[in-house]
Amino acid sequence: MSALIFWLLAICAGIGALAVVMSHDVMRLALGLGLVLLSTAGFFVLLGFGFLALAEVFVYAGGVLVLVLFAIMLVHRGEPGQPSLEVTHDPLILVGCVGVFALLLAVLRPVALQLQTSSGGSVDALGSVLLGDLLLPFELSGLLLLAALVAVVSVMGGDRR
Amino acid sequence: MSSLVVSIALFCIGLYAVLTRKEVIAILVGVEVMIAGALLVLVMLGSHAANGASIHAVALLILVLAATEAAVGLGLLVAAARRLSTTCVDEMTEVRG
Repeated sequence: MSALIFWLLAICAGIGALAVVMSHDVMRLALGLGLVLLSTAGFFVLLGFGFLALAEVFVYAGGVLVLVLFAIMLVHRGEPGQPSLEVTHDPLILVGCVGVFALLLAVLRPVALQLQTSSGGSVDALGSVLLGDLLLPFELSGLLLLAALVAVVSVMGGDRR
Repeated sequence: MSSLVVSIALFCIGLYAVLTRKEVIAILVGVEVMIAGALLVLVMLGSHAANGASIHAVALLILVLAATEAAVGLGLLVAAARRLSTTCVDEMTEVRG
């Protein structure tokens, strides 16, 4: 059963990723991204990382995707129904990407074969790690979010001063 | 093993989108697909680790960093579209306009 769900998710992720590469319509591009993100969340659930899947859906599918849609509405004001994105294909880049795929697979495959399966741990353990060993990166990520917020407001509202 | 193939394929499809697309929004979406693939590799390998909670926490932090990157990138896109009246990277030829 889990193998069936895995391949369904893989097909959904593949369709979404191909929409990102091949779509002429900017809204289909955003929907392709949404499909990829939701499929990734599904993979996280299958691998035993339930909390991460929840965060992915809330932060990415709920937050970043809405940001992308807002950016599209602010920037792309083409004629309704008309394709607004240019699609170019380069065989050399395709060969390069296939090479990167083969290289990454060759490097990571022996690592994946050596390891034993476990789960992502409970939310209690996650909280202990975040507020224990990883406290400094956790706080720094909060600082980074604040800096990013200030930077975006500064860049977007720069003309009004 | 199949999840490794799927996640690396996602990464490479995102890479192809980044290298072939001309619009900034499409490049940003390609970067997001690449990050999703990379995060999936991390979680897939981390799901085999002894201390799963540490990998869980690191993946959560990477998710936050990726969301920050997307927010800053989209903010820059909107600002560039307002000032340069284009969203095509080939037409953005001036560093200081």
